[in-house]
Amino acid sequence: MSISPEVQLILLAWGTLVGLDLVSVPQMMIARPIVAGPIAGAILGDAVTGLQLGVLFELFQYDILPVGAVRYPEYGPATVAAVSAAHAAAGTLGLGVGALVGLITAMAGGASLQAVRRLNTRAVHRAAAALESGEPRTLERLHVAGILRDAARAAIVTAIGLGLAQLARDSLHGTLSPRGVVLLNVASVGAALAAGTAGTLRLIGRGPGLRWFAVGLVGGAAAVWLR
Amino acid sequence: MSTAGPPARPSLGRALLRLFTVQGSWNYERMQGIGMGVSEQPLIRDLAGNGTAYRAAVARAAQFFNAHPYLCGLAVGATARAEHDGVPPEQVVRLRTALCGPLGALGDRLVWAGWLPLTSGLALIGVALGLGVRAVLGFLIVYNIGHVALRWWALRAGWTYGGRVATALREPVLQRATTLSAPAMALVTGAALPLVAQSLASGFVGWTRAALAVVAAAGFALLWWRRARLTGLRFGLVLLALATLGGWLWH
Repeated sequence: MSISPEVQLILLAWGTLVGLDLVSVPQMMIARPIVAGPIAGAILGDAVTGLQLGVLFELFQYDILPVGAVRYPEYGPATVAAVSAAHAAAGTLGLGVGALVGLITAMAGGASLQAVRRLNTRAVHRAAAALESGEPRTLERLHVAGILRDAARAAIVTAIGLGLAQLARDSLHGTLSPRGVVLLNVASVGAALAAGTAGTLRLIGRGPGLRWFAVGLVGGAAAVWLR
Repeated sequence: MSTAGPPARPSLGRALLRLFTVQGSWNYERMQGIGMGVSEQPLIRDLAGNGTAYRAAVARAAQFFNAHPYLCGLAVGATARAEHDGVPPEQVVRLRTALCGPLGALGDRLVWAGWLPLTSGLALIGVALGLGVRAVLGFLIVYNIGHVALRWWALRAGWTYGGRVATALREPVLQRATTLSAPAMALVTGAALPLVAQSLASGFVGWTRAALAVVAAAGFALLWWRRARLTGLRFGLVLLALATLGGWLWH
Protein backbone atom coordinates (compact mmCIF):
# COMPACT_ATOMS: atom_id res chain seq x y z
CA MET A 1 0.00 0.00 0.00
CA SER A 2 1.50 3.33 -0.98
CA ILE A 3 1.29 6.49 1.07
CA SER A 4 0.63 9.78 -0.71
CA PRO A 5 3.32 12.51 -0.60
CA GLU A 6 0.93 14.78 1.33
CA VAL A 7 0.49 12.20 4.09
CA GLN A 8 4.27 11.56 4.11
CA LEU A 9 4.80 15.30 4.65
CA ILE A 10 2.32 15.36 7.54
CA LEU A 11 4.10 12.35 9.07
CA LEU A 12 7.42 14.15 8.62
CA ALA A 13 6.06 17.22 10.41
CA TRP A 14 4.65 15.08 13.23
CA GLY A 15 7.93 13.16 13.58
CA THR A 16 9.83 16.46 13.75
CA LEU A 17 7.59 17.77 16.55
CA VAL A 18 7.94 14.46 18.37
CA GLY A 19 11.73 14.52 18.04
CA LEU A 20 11.90 18.11 19.23
CA ASP A 21 9.79 17.27 22.27
CA LEU A 22 12.18 14.59 23.52
CA VAL A 23 14.86 16.96 24.79
CA SER A 24 14.42 20.52 23.53
CA VAL A 25 10.86 21.86 23.51
CA PRO A 26 8.60 21.41 25.53
CA GLN A 27 9.05 17.89 26.94
CA MET A 28 5.30 17.38 27.24
CA MET A 29 5.78 13.71 26.31
CA ILE A 30 4.35 13.67 22.80
CA ALA A 31 7.72 11.97 22.22
CA ARG A 32 6.47 8.92 24.14
CA PRO A 33 5.63 6.12 21.69
CA ILE A 34 2.20 5.69 23.34
CA VAL A 35 1.39 9.20 22.04
CA ALA A 36 3.48 9.36 18.85
CA GLY A 37 2.14 6.03 17.55
CA PRO A 38 -1.63 6.58 17.75
CA ILE A 39 -1.36 10.06 16.22
CA ALA A 40 0.79 8.71 13.36
CA GLY A 41 -1.86 6.01 12.97
CA ALA A 42 -4.62 8.62 12.90
CA ILE A 43 -2.72 10.55 10.18
CA LEU A 44 -2.63 7.34 8.14
CA GLY A 45 -6.26 6.52 8.96
CA ASP A 46 -5.09 3.41 10.83
CA ALA A 47 -5.42 4.14 14.54
CA VAL A 48 -5.33 0.45 15.53
CA THR A 49 -1.85 -0.13 14.09
CA GLY A 50 -0.72 3.17 15.63
CA LEU A 51 -1.92 2.09 19.06
CA GLN A 52 -0.38 -1.38 18.77
CA LEU A 53 3.04 -0.04 17.80
CA GLY A 54 2.70 2.76 20.34
CA VAL A 55 2.27 0.16 23.08
CA LEU A 56 5.07 -2.01 21.67
CA PHE A 57 7.61 0.84 21.60
CA GLU A 58 6.42 2.18 24.95
CA LEU A 59 7.65 -1.14 26.37
CA PHE A 60 11.04 -0.60 24.71
CA GLN A 61 11.03 2.94 26.15
CA TYR A 62 10.80 1.48 29.68
CA ASP A 63 14.27 0.07 29.07
CA ILE A 64 15.85 3.53 29.27
CA LEU A 65 16.11 6.19 31.95
CA PRO A 66 17.11 9.55 30.41
CA VAL A 67 19.24 10.87 33.27
CA GLY A 68 22.20 13.23 32.92
CA ALA A 69 24.27 12.83 29.77
CA VAL A 70 23.37 9.16 29.31
CA ARG A 71 23.11 7.92 25.70
CA TYR A 72 19.80 6.43 24.70
CA PRO A 73 17.84 5.51 21.56
CA GLU A 74 15.08 7.81 20.37
CA TYR A 75 11.76 6.00 20.13
CA GLY A 76 9.43 8.90 19.17
CA PRO A 77 10.21 9.44 15.45
CA ALA A 78 11.02 5.72 15.34
CA THR A 79 7.42 4.92 16.28
CA VAL A 80 6.14 7.26 13.56
CA ALA A 81 8.29 5.44 10.99
CA ALA A 82 7.25 2.05 12.40
CA VAL A 83 3.56 2.88 12.04
CA SER A 84 4.18 4.01 8.47
CA ALA A 85 5.91 0.70 7.68
CA ALA A 86 3.28 -1.43 9.39
CA HIS A 87 0.36 0.42 7.82
CA ALA A 88 0.94 -1.48 4.58
CA ALA A 89 -0.15 -4.74 6.20
CA ALA A 90 -3.35 -5.07 8.19
CA GLY A 91 -3.41 -5.70 11.96
CA THR A 92 -0.81 -7.91 13.60
CA LEU A 93 0.81 -8.79 10.26
CA GLY A 94 2.63 -5.48 10.12
CA LEU A 95 3.91 -5.37 13.71
CA GLY A 96 7.19 -7.14 12.98
CA VAL A 97 8.03 -5.05 9.93
CA GLY A 98 7.15 -1.91 11.87
CA ALA A 99 9.30 -2.95 14.82
CA LEU A 100 12.29 -3.66 12.56
CA VAL A 101 12.06 -0.24 10.91
CA GLY A 102 11.39 1.44 14.25
CA LEU A 103 14.36 -0.08 16.07
CA ILE A 104 16.79 0.88 13.30
CA THR A 105 15.36 4.42 13.30
CA ALA A 106 15.63 4.58 17.10
CA MET A 107 19.31 3.70 16.87
CA ALA A 108 19.85 6.41 14.24
CA GLY A 109 17.93 8.88 16.41
CA GLY A 110 20.13 8.15 19.42
CA ALA A 111 23.29 8.68 17.36
CA SER A 112 21.91 11.94 15.93
CA LEU A 113 21.32 13.31 19.43
CA GLN A 114 25.02 12.89 20.19
CA ALA A 115 25.92 14.60 16.91
CA VAL A 116 23.74 17.63 17.70
CA ARG A 117 25.19 17.86 21.21
CA ARG A 118 28.69 17.88 19.73
CA LEU A 119 27.69 20.64 17.28
CA ASN A 120 26.20 22.63 20.17
CA THR A 121 29.42 22.17 22.14
CA ARG A 122 31.49 23.52 19.25
CA ALA A 123 29.20 26.55 18.90
CA VAL A 124 29.41 27.26 22.63
CA HIS A 125 33.18 26.86 22.55
CA ARG A 126 33.45 29.38 19.69
CA ALA A 127 31.30 31.89 21.58
CA ALA A 128 33.16 31.45 24.88
CA ALA A 129 34.48 35.03 25.04
CA ALA A 130 31.08 36.61 24.40
CA LEU A 131 29.48 34.29 26.95
CA GLU A 132 32.06 35.16 29.59
CA SER A 133 31.32 38.84 29.07
CA GLY A 134 27.57 38.17 29.50
CA GLU A 135 26.52 39.15 25.99
CA PRO A 136 22.73 38.52 26.05
CA ARG A 137 22.26 38.41 22.27
CA THR A 138 24.98 35.77 21.85
CA LEU A 139 23.31 33.68 24.51
CA GLU A 140 19.92 33.91 22.81
CA ARG A 141 21.41 33.22 19.37
CA LEU A 142 23.20 30.10 20.64
CA HIS A 143 20.03 28.85 22.26
CA VAL A 144 17.80 29.39 19.22
CA ALA A 145 20.45 27.81 16.96
CA GLY A 146 20.52 24.77 19.26
CA ILE A 147 16.74 24.37 19.01
CA LEU A 148 16.84 24.76 15.21
CA ARG A 149 19.62 22.16 15.02
CA ASP A 150 17.50 19.75 17.04
CA ALA A 151 14.48 20.40 14.81
CA ALA A 152 16.59 19.69 11.71
CA ARG A 153 17.94 16.55 13.38
CA ALA A 154 14.44 15.32 14.22
CA ALA A 155 13.29 15.98 10.64
CA ILE A 156 16.26 14.09 9.20
CA VAL A 157 15.74 11.12 11.54
CA THR A 158 12.03 10.98 10.68
CA ALA A 159 12.82 11.23 6.96
CA ILE A 160 15.32 8.37 7.28
CA GLY A 161 12.70 6.35 9.15
CA LEU A 162 10.02 7.01 6.55
CA GLY A 163 12.49 6.10 3.79
CA LEU A 164 13.31 2.86 5.59
CA ALA A 165 9.59 2.18 5.97
CA GLN A 166 9.16 2.53 2.21
CA LEU A 167 12.16 0.27 1.60
CA ALA A 168 10.86 -2.34 4.04
CA ARG A 169 7.42 -2.28 2.44
CA ASP A 170 8.93 -2.79 -1.01
CA SER A 171 11.52 -5.40 -0.09
CA LEU A 172 9.92 -7.48 2.69
CA HIS A 173 6.30 -7.73 1.62
CA GLY A 174 5.88 -10.66 -0.69
CA THR A 175 9.42 -11.81 0.02
CA LEU A 176 8.73 -13.16 3.49
CA SER A 177 6.64 -16.30 3.75
CA PRO A 178 3.60 -16.25 6.08
CA ARG A 179 5.75 -18.21 8.55
CA GLY A 180 8.46 -15.57 8.23
CA VAL A 181 5.96 -12.83 9.00
CA VAL A 182 4.83 -14.75 12.10
CA LEU A 183 8.47 -15.19 13.19
CA LEU A 184 9.06 -11.45 12.84
CA ASN A 185 5.94 -10.68 14.85
CA VAL A 186 6.85 -13.13 17.62
CA ALA A 187 10.36 -11.65 17.79
CA SER A 188 9.11 -8.06 17.97
CA VAL A 189 6.45 -8.61 20.64
CA GLY A 190 8.70 -10.98 22.64
CA ALA A 191 11.60 -8.51 22.59
CA ALA A 192 9.32 -5.64 23.63
CA LEU A 193 7.85 -7.59 26.55
CA ALA A 194 11.32 -8.68 27.67
CA ALA A 195 12.74 -5.15 27.40
CA GLY A 196 9.74 -3.61 29.17
CA THR A 197 9.86 -6.05 32.07
CA ALA A 198 13.64 -5.88 32.52
CA GLY A 199 13.62 -2.08 32.27
CA THR A 200 10.80 -1.73 34.79
CA LEU A 201 12.55 -4.00 37.27
CA ARG A 202 15.80 -2.04 36.87
CA LEU A 203 13.87 1.14 37.60
CA ILE A 204 12.21 -0.32 40.68
CA GLY A 205 15.36 -1.92 42.09
CA ARG A 206 15.44 -4.25 45.07
CA GLY A 207 13.78 -1.96 47.63
CA PRO A 208 10.20 -1.94 48.92
CA GLY A 209 9.01 -1.03 45.41
CA LEU A 210 9.58 -4.66 44.42
CA ARG A 211 6.76 -5.76 46.75
CA TRP A 212 4.40 -3.22 45.19
CA PHE A 213 5.46 -4.42 41.74
CA ALA A 214 4.60 -8.01 42.74
CA VAL A 215 1.20 -6.88 44.05
CA GLY A 216 0.54 -5.06 40.76
CA LEU A 217 1.68 -8.07 38.76
CA VAL A 218 -0.71 -10.36 40.62
CA GLY A 219 -3.53 -7.83 40.20
CA GLY A 220 -2.82 -7.48 36.47
CA ALA A 221 -2.67 -11.27 36.04
CA ALA A 222 -5.98 -11.61 37.89
CA ALA A 223 -7.54 -9.00 35.60
CA VAL A 224 -6.29 -10.95 32.57
CA TRP A 225 -7.76 -14.17 33.97
CA LEU A 226 -11.10 -12.52 34.70
CA ARG A 227 -11.47 -10.99 31.23
CA MET B 1 24.17 42.52 50.95
CA SER B 2 21.43 45.09 50.34
CA THR B 3 19.41 46.05 53.41
CA ALA B 4 16.42 47.39 51.46
CA GLY B 5 13.12 45.47 51.49
CA PRO B 6 12.46 42.46 49.23
CA PRO B 7 12.62 43.27 45.51
CA ALA B 8 9.38 43.53 43.55
CA ARG B 9 8.66 40.14 42.01
CA PRO B 10 9.14 40.36 38.25
CA SER B 11 6.65 38.60 36.00
CA LEU B 12 7.61 34.94 36.16
CA GLY B 13 5.57 34.02 33.07
CA ARG B 14 8.26 34.79 30.50
CA ALA B 15 10.89 32.92 32.48
CA LEU B 16 8.51 29.95 32.77
CA LEU B 17 7.92 29.91 29.01
CA ARG B 18 11.66 29.99 28.36
CA LEU B 19 12.17 27.18 30.87
CA PHE B 20 10.16 24.90 28.58
CA THR B 21 13.13 25.20 26.19
CA VAL B 22 15.84 24.92 28.86
CA GLN B 23 17.51 21.93 27.17
CA GLY B 24 17.29 23.35 23.64
CA SER B 25 21.01 24.08 23.47
CA TRP B 26 22.21 21.15 25.61
CA ASN B 27 25.94 20.63 25.09
CA TYR B 28 28.82 18.75 26.66
CA GLU B 29 30.60 21.90 27.87
CA ARG B 30 27.88 23.73 29.84
CA MET B 31 25.10 21.14 29.58
CA GLN B 32 21.91 23.17 30.38
CA GLY B 33 23.89 26.34 31.11
CA ILE B 34 22.88 28.28 27.99
CA GLY B 35 19.21 27.44 28.47
CA MET B 36 19.45 28.48 32.12
CA GLY B 37 20.93 31.83 31.13
CA VAL B 38 18.20 32.45 28.55
CA SER B 39 15.51 31.52 31.10
CA GLU B 40 16.94 33.79 33.79
CA GLN B 41 17.23 36.85 31.53
CA PRO B 42 13.64 38.14 32.03
CA LEU B 43 14.11 38.03 35.81
CA ILE B 44 17.40 39.93 35.96
CA ARG B 45 16.94 42.42 33.14
CA ASP B 46 16.05 45.20 35.57
CA LEU B 47 19.14 44.80 37.75
CA ALA B 48 20.68 48.11 38.72
CA GLY B 49 24.16 49.08 37.51
CA ASN B 50 23.75 50.58 34.05
CA GLY B 51 23.83 47.22 32.31
CA THR B 52 27.08 46.09 33.90
CA ALA B 53 25.41 44.15 36.71
CA TYR B 54 22.98 42.62 34.23
CA ARG B 55 25.76 41.39 31.94
CA ALA B 56 27.74 39.98 34.85
CA ALA B 57 24.61 38.18 36.08
CA VAL B 58 23.90 36.81 32.59
CA ALA B 59 27.46 35.47 32.39
CA ARG B 60 27.00 33.69 35.73
CA ALA B 61 23.56 32.38 34.72
CA ALA B 62 24.98 30.77 31.57
CA GLN B 63 27.70 28.80 33.30
CA PHE B 64 27.67 25.00 33.58
CA PHE B 65 24.45 23.60 34.98
CA ASN B 66 22.90 20.15 34.97
CA ALA B 67 19.77 19.11 36.82
CA HIS B 68 16.34 17.73 36.08
CA PRO B 69 14.79 20.02 33.41
CA TYR B 70 11.47 20.39 35.24
CA LEU B 71 13.23 21.66 38.37
CA CYS B 72 15.66 24.05 36.68
CA GLY B 73 13.22 26.84 37.52
CA LEU B 74 14.10 26.48 41.18
CA ALA B 75 17.70 27.40 40.43
CA VAL B 76 16.67 30.12 37.96
CA GLY B 77 14.33 31.74 40.50
CA ALA B 78 16.73 31.37 43.41
CA THR B 79 19.76 32.81 41.63
CA ALA B 80 17.73 35.65 40.09
CA ARG B 81 16.44 36.53 43.56
CA ALA B 82 19.97 36.30 44.97
CA GLU B 83 21.19 38.69 42.24
CA HIS B 84 18.42 41.16 43.16
CA ASP B 85 19.23 40.80 46.86
CA GLY B 86 22.82 41.81 46.15
CA VAL B 87 24.33 38.48 47.21
CA PRO B 88 28.07 38.44 46.34
CA PRO B 89 28.76 36.87 42.90
CA GLU B 90 30.85 33.99 44.26
CA GLN B 91 27.96 33.01 46.55
CA VAL B 92 25.53 33.06 43.61
CA VAL B 93 27.83 30.73 41.70
CA ARG B 94 28.15 28.45 44.75
CA LEU B 95 24.36 28.40 45.11
CA ARG B 96 23.92 27.27 41.48
CA THR B 97 26.59 24.61 41.82
CA ALA B 98 25.11 23.32 45.08
CA LEU B 99 21.66 22.95 43.48
CA CYS B 100 22.74 20.72 40.57
CA GLY B 101 22.98 17.44 42.49
CA PRO B 102 19.83 17.71 44.66
CA LEU B 103 17.62 18.97 41.82
CA GLY B 104 18.90 16.23 39.51
CA ALA B 105 18.35 13.47 42.05
CA LEU B 106 14.95 14.76 43.15
CA GLY B 107 13.67 15.19 39.59
CA ASP B 108 14.91 11.79 38.49
CA ARG B 109 13.16 10.11 41.42
CA LEU B 110 10.00 12.19 41.25
CA VAL B 111 9.50 12.38 37.47
CA TRP B 112 11.63 9.94 35.43
CA ALA B 113 11.27 7.09 37.93
CA GLY B 114 7.90 8.13 39.37
CA TRP B 115 5.32 10.33 37.69
CA LEU B 116 6.21 9.47 34.06
CA PRO B 117 6.20 5.64 34.30
CA LEU B 118 3.18 5.85 36.63
CA THR B 119 1.03 7.83 34.17
CA SER B 120 2.39 5.97 31.15
CA GLY B 121 1.60 2.67 32.92
CA LEU B 122 -1.96 3.87 33.50
CA ALA B 123 -2.20 4.70 29.78
CA LEU B 124 -0.96 1.20 28.88
CA ILE B 125 -3.60 -0.31 31.17
CA GLY B 126 -6.24 1.90 29.56
CA VAL B 127 -5.23 0.86 26.04
CA ALA B 128 -5.10 -2.82 27.05
CA LEU B 129 -8.61 -2.53 28.52
CA GLY B 130 -9.91 -1.09 25.27
CA LEU B 131 -10.04 2.63 26.04
CA GLY B 132 -7.94 3.31 22.94
CA VAL B 133 -7.04 6.90 22.13
CA ARG B 134 -8.95 8.16 25.21
CA ALA B 135 -6.33 6.52 27.41
CA VAL B 136 -3.59 8.30 25.44
CA LEU B 137 -5.33 11.67 25.75
CA GLY B 138 -5.85 11.04 29.45
CA PHE B 139 -2.11 10.35 29.82
CA LEU B 140 -1.18 13.58 28.04
CA ILE B 141 -3.53 15.68 30.16
CA VAL B 142 -2.80 14.10 33.56
CA TYR B 143 0.96 13.92 33.01
CA ASN B 144 1.16 17.54 31.91
CA ILE B 145 -0.93 18.83 34.81
CA GLY B 146 1.81 17.45 37.07
CA HIS B 147 4.56 18.57 34.69
CA VAL B 148 3.46 22.22 34.38
CA ALA B 149 2.55 22.43 38.09
CA LEU B 150 6.04 21.23 39.03
CA ARG B 151 7.76 23.70 36.71
CA TRP B 152 5.63 26.58 38.04
CA TRP B 153 6.11 25.58 41.69
CA ALA B 154 9.88 25.31 41.16
CA LEU B 155 10.23 28.76 39.61
CA ARG B 156 7.98 30.46 42.17
CA ALA B 157 9.62 28.69 45.12
CA GLY B 158 13.07 29.60 43.79
CA TRP B 159 12.17 33.28 43.62
CA THR B 160 10.40 33.22 47.00
CA TYR B 161 13.24 31.55 48.91
CA GLY B 162 16.27 32.91 47.03
CA GLY B 163 19.46 31.89 48.83
CA ARG B 164 17.45 29.82 51.34
CA VAL B 165 16.09 27.64 48.55
CA ALA B 166 17.02 24.42 50.37
CA THR B 167 13.96 25.11 52.56
CA ALA B 168 11.73 24.69 49.50
CA LEU B 169 13.14 21.22 48.87
CA ARG B 170 12.00 20.19 52.37
CA GLU B 171 8.34 21.12 51.76
CA PRO B 172 6.06 18.31 53.05
CA VAL B 173 4.08 18.01 49.80
CA LEU B 174 7.26 17.43 47.84
CA GLN B 175 8.58 14.92 50.38
CA ARG B 176 5.29 13.01 50.34
CA ALA B 177 5.11 13.00 46.53
CA THR B 178 8.65 11.63 46.35
CA THR B 179 7.86 8.93 48.91
CA LEU B 180 4.60 7.87 47.25
CA SER B 181 5.62 8.04 43.59
CA ALA B 182 7.96 5.02 43.64
CA PRO B 183 5.53 2.44 45.12
CA ALA B 184 2.64 3.83 43.03
CA MET B 185 4.76 3.52 39.89
CA ALA B 186 5.79 -0.04 40.82
CA LEU B 187 2.17 -1.07 41.48
CA VAL B 188 0.85 0.39 38.21
CA THR B 189 3.63 -0.89 35.95
CA GLY B 190 3.34 -4.31 37.60
CA ALA B 191 -0.38 -4.36 36.78
CA ALA B 192 0.20 -3.02 33.26
CA LEU B 193 2.62 -5.73 32.12
CA PRO B 194 0.26 -8.77 32.14
CA LEU B 195 -2.55 -6.73 30.59
CA VAL B 196 -0.29 -5.40 27.84
CA ALA B 197 1.13 -8.89 27.24
CA GLN B 198 -2.39 -10.23 26.79
CA SER B 199 -3.34 -7.36 24.50
CA LEU B 200 -0.27 -7.75 22.28
CA ALA B 201 -0.54 -11.55 22.23
CA SER B 202 -4.18 -11.50 21.15
CA GLY B 203 -3.19 -11.86 17.49
CA PHE B 204 -1.18 -15.01 18.17
CA VAL B 205 -2.70 -18.48 18.35
CA GLY B 206 -1.45 -22.05 18.89
CA TRP B 207 2.30 -22.61 18.78
CA THR B 208 3.02 -18.93 18.08
CA ARG B 209 1.64 -17.99 21.51
CA ALA B 210 3.90 -20.57 23.18
CA ALA B 211 6.85 -19.31 21.12
CA LEU B 212 6.06 -15.75 22.20
CA ALA B 213 6.09 -16.78 25.88
CA VAL B 214 9.45 -18.52 25.43
CA VAL B 215 11.01 -15.56 23.57
CA ALA B 216 9.74 -13.05 26.16
CA ALA B 217 10.91 -15.15 29.14
CA ALA B 218 14.31 -15.99 27.64
CA GLY B 219 14.77 -12.37 26.52
CA PHE B 220 13.97 -11.07 29.97
CA ALA B 221 16.41 -13.52 31.56
CA LEU B 222 19.13 -12.49 29.10
CA LEU B 223 18.50 -8.76 29.54
CA TRP B 224 18.51 -9.12 33.32
CA TRP B 225 21.64 -11.28 33.41
CA ARG B 226 23.56 -9.03 30.98
CA ARG B 227 21.97 -5.74 32.16
CA ALA B 228 25.27 -3.89 32.30
CA ARG B 229 25.96 -4.48 28.60
CA LEU B 230 22.83 -5.56 26.75
CA THR B 231 20.05 -3.05 26.02
CA GLY B 232 16.51 -3.71 24.87
CA LEU B 233 17.33 -2.03 21.55
CA ARG B 234 20.30 -4.29 20.79
CA PHE B 235 18.43 -7.38 21.88
CA GLY B 236 15.43 -6.43 19.74
CA LEU B 237 17.56 -5.70 16.69
CA VAL B 238 19.46 -9.00 16.92
CA LEU B 239 16.25 -10.96 17.46
CA LEU B 240 14.49 -9.27 14.54
CA ALA B 241 17.51 -9.79 12.27
CA LEU B 242 17.49 -13.50 13.14
CA ALA B 243 13.73 -13.67 12.59
CA THR B 244 14.04 -11.98 9.18
CA LEU B 245 16.75 -14.42 8.17
CA GLY B 246 14.64 -17.31 9.44
CA GLY B 247 11.66 -15.98 7.52
CA TRP B 248 13.60 -15.96 4.27
CA LEU B 249 14.89 -19.49 4.78
CA TRP B 250 11.70 -21.09 6.22
CA HIS B 251 9.19 -21.37 3.39
